[in-house]
Amino acid sequence: MEPSYSADEFIAAGLAAYGIEADEVDLAVIRAAHQLFWPPTLELLEMDTSEIPVEPAPDLSQAPPRR
Amino acid sequence: MSESLDLSLRAQAAAIAAGEIDPAELLEAALQRIGERNPALNAVVETFPERSREMLEAAPAGPLHGVPVVIKDEWPLPWRAQRFGAAEMLAPTAPGESGPYRALRDAGAVIVGVGNMHELGASSTGSISVYGPARNPWNTDRCPGGSSSGPAAAVAGRLVAGSVGADGIGSIRYPAAYCGLTGLKPTFGRAPMEGHHMAGVSTTIVSGPLCFDSADCRLLGSALFGEELEAGRPEGLRIGVIRDAASEDVAPPVHQACEAAIEDLRRETGGEVREVALPELAAATLATVLIANSESLGDITPARLNGLDPELSPIARGLLKYRVLLPSIATLKAYQVRTLARHTLAALFDEVDLIAWPTVPAVAPPLEAPIVELPSGTLSADEANVRGGALANLTGIPAISVPVGSSEGLPIALQLQAGWGRDALLLDAAEALERANERRWVEQHPPPPADA
Repeated sequence: MEPSYSADEFIAAGLAAYGIEADEVDLAVIRAAHQLFWPPTLELLEMDTSEIPVEPAPDLSQAPPRR
Repeated sequence: MSESLDLSLRAQAAAIAAGEIDPAELLEAALQRIGERNPALNAVVETFPERSREMLEAAPAGPLHGVPVVIKDEWPLPWRAQRFGAAEMLAPTAPGESGPYRALRDAGAVIVGVGNMHELGASSTGSISVYGPARNPWNTDRCPGGSSSGPAAAVAGRLVAGSVGADGIGSIRYPAAYCGLTGLKPTFGRAPMEGHHMAGVSTTIVSGPLCFDSADCRLLGSALFGEELEAGRPEGLRIGVIRDAASEDVAPPVHQACEAAIEDLRRETGGEVREVALPELAAATLATVLIANSESLGDITPARLNGLDPELSPIARGLLKYRVLLPSIATLKAYQVRTLARHTLAALFDEVDLIAWPTVPAVAPPLEAPIVELPSGTLSADEANVRGGALANLTGIPAISVPVGSSEGLPIALQLQAGWGRDALLLDAAEALERANERRWVEQHPPPPADA
């Protein structure tokens, strides 16, 4: 199924679901951010990451343990 | 005494230690210079002469004894809470002894002012701040870079010779690049974070130095790390470069200067340039943004978002509200991308010592319109800059920005990244590059602001 995409509906419904108020200026900024972030976010969601374990608490000061 | 302020950080420290400069006179000269030059730069948002004098009186005989420095508005001081460049922080804040403050104090440094920053640390440009933006000393109509805009502008404008910033997604390296400085993003966890409102929560933010050159960064970095970053002369450096379309989407003058610098570094160290691949780089960039944003959501509630301070910028207000719409599954995937990128890098650093690419793909854009022209078209500076800055924060590796050229009278910078814990190697490589170009770019300084 192709993703149904309406930025205005998504943004308005999402904010309303949380009870977050947004004026026209807020909405303009949010639309611009959404336009920037949403396409790569959808690409990220499509990534097959099933083989990648989540490191629960990686030690970012060091290289990861060798697999 | 004011000419002493034009000395490097290490020369100031050495002259004080040798009794050639009176640190009390140097402090007063720094305060005077801030008074003269800062109105044009807005680099320093607050001075506290009595506190600075008290700090000097109590200063131990450390490696930075009596040397004036600036610290970003991201770190609390015992007499001042950080404001994070914003009218409202959405996180608890109070005066206190932050880790960088303690490190500076214990090294004998004297904090003379708080450096401006981009509002909430949320941009690579420095174009928005509750204090008004800091200005780039090379051209005060241009962005100083962010989010550590004030610390960079303060050093480039020669108000002080060293400053401490913070880097969550490139926030030391971008302003270092725009202002023609050397800026080190340390390995995650190596520099002090205590007292930061995200300490213990953020997995991307580190403190780090911004200075004229690598030797000064080594001195200030050693003070921050609490351990000596020993100098060496690297030989046979294996320099990794990426040759894909996204990585080469760089303004031609920047591309040329960085390619020349990479060749300079190769020649100086008798090394080699190897083409490497980082296929998850684009995903890593988004992953960094998602992780950094999700980690700062803890203090947000719908009620707080409905009652935001009206003095927050419209962009900050909108972006804060947008964060709650980002899906958690994307953030989970972002953590998986982090794992993947860390493993890819670990293998890559078996093959090369450094990865090199431009710190930012274009010179500092206008403050009024922070957009850049790249081969792919017109982009917001943030969208363009994050491509080069995010990887080190996502994975924890150290990175350094080094000035390597100039275009339109504005600095161009190369970024070097190394494996975990190899911060000293980055400083060595930056120093090798300075030798190779006869310190041409680190010795260039903008003239004092016209109305100073």
